[in-house]
Amino acid sequence: MTENLSNPNLTRERSFNRSSESAGAPLFTEADDQSLLEGVRLKDEKAMANLFDRYGGMVYSVALRVLKDPGNAEDVMQEVFFQVWQNPQAFVPRRGSLAAWLLVVTRNRAVDVLRRRKPSDSVDDVILPASDNIAVETERRTMMEKVRAALHRLSPEQQQSIELAFFEGLSHSEIAAQTGDPLGTVKTRIRSALLSVRRAFQP
Amino acid sequence: MTDNAHIPEETLALYALQALDQAESLVVRAHVAACAECRTELARTEGDLALVAMNTEQHPLPQGARERFLSRIGATSETEPATVISIGNKTPAMRTTAWPAWLAAAAMLLIAIGLGFEVHTLSRQLDATAQQLAEQTVESRHAHEVLDLLTAPAAQHVTLTTGKTPPAPAARAVYLASRGALVLEASNLKPLLPGKAYELWVIPANGAAPIPAGLFWPDTAGSASVVMPNIPAGVTAKALGVTVENDSGSATPTLPIVLAGATPAAGE
Repeated sequence: MTENLSNPNLTRERSFNRSSESAGAPLFTEADDQSLLEGVRLKDEKAMANLFDRYGGMVYSVALRVLKDPGNAEDVMQEVFFQVWQNPQAFVPRRGSLAAWLLVVTRNRAVDVLRRRKPSDSVDDVILPASDNIAVETERRTMMEKVRAALHRLSPEQQQSIELAFFEGLSHSEIAAQTGDPLGTVKTRIRSALLSVRRAFQP
Repeated sequence: MTDNAHIPEETLALYALQALDQAESLVVRAHVAACAECRTELARTEGDLALVAMNTEQHPLPQGARERFLSRIGATSETEPATVISIGNKTPAMRTTAWPAWLAAAAMLLIAIGLGFEVHTLSRQLDATAQQLAEQTVESRHAHEVLDLLTAPAAQHVTLTTGKTPPAPAARAVYLASRGALVLEASNLKPLLPGKAYELWVIPANGAAPIPAGLFWPDTAGSASVVMPNIPAGVTAKALGVTVENDSGSATPTLPIVLAGATPAAGE
């Protein structure tokens, strides 16, 4: 289950964007995202289509990773982008990059579907650090390599905890029950694993 | 968990992962809403999660997905004005969505009159919409009361346990006497015999008879909750207790008390 986190070979050729668009294409900038979002606020369907083209593959892939069902994953993707269309003001630029926001919202919605529960938070609840400019400051492939390396360095137990919590959507008590580890240990592992990812981007 | 201190970083990580139970999540949400420091740390954690998500293997979109999406937004552009609709359940959003929906219902009525649509059909739709809106209003008010309870400085946080031998039944309650507001989240409860239910009691400090505060049944994992039961306001509680009663409820608690917890002295 933790193979995808630990085996860099499985992710070597991954691209943050659709392959047809990412090869040699300039990086998307936050300014681009903002101008497109402004268009969405004005109900410009072309602007929305551009956002969909830009991030659709990424959003769908995260939903598919969680749900493992293409139909359900597309439903989540459609719902996330439809939410952007209906309520673009839910994303506030100072919260960070649109890409990061979409990733987190998509993962949360996919887990809601997986657990067959009502949406457990509002998109308004998802906030990101203003400095977290996935779309601007760092080349995405480089970022992915850093993330991959950081995850690869985690202990197997940490990788399993992150896998179960992030992609399987299990609660900490469910993880503790499944792994046989104490609740406090599970909490600490998850926290330290996320910190390891964060430190990979700190100077 | 949050009375005066900040939320532990481990707990914030679990909150960001939606890995806390409902009651814990509500408490964290209420704290984060009022604490800039914890909000900043939560944002950092959400950023960490975005980085983890970035490592997801990329897959091509399903055939026709783009067209289906564009068709969907095209349909809404032609039929509706821009409205703010939340797919989540954050309390302020729920409060604000009711009014645009009412306006939409009114607009539907005017269109029906102007264009001579089948009035009886629209009437049924409006009735359904009105009913839905009424339910949303009730839910919104209810959620607002829950949030008020969780954020009230005077709210008492009570932990009810039977012992320390895991996995012991346990419950956590938040009680605000002045409003008669109460939320209880229980775990590891033993299964009940048919016809039986757990019943929560507020035990008044003035020696008056215990007040029934809701029946509840554990799920297969032994978890259960009582949210905002119908109890009188202004009852200063000495303790909260849980008993096993017939599933129709009881006017007085039947011993033994399976879970109990005293309210902190500093509370109401």
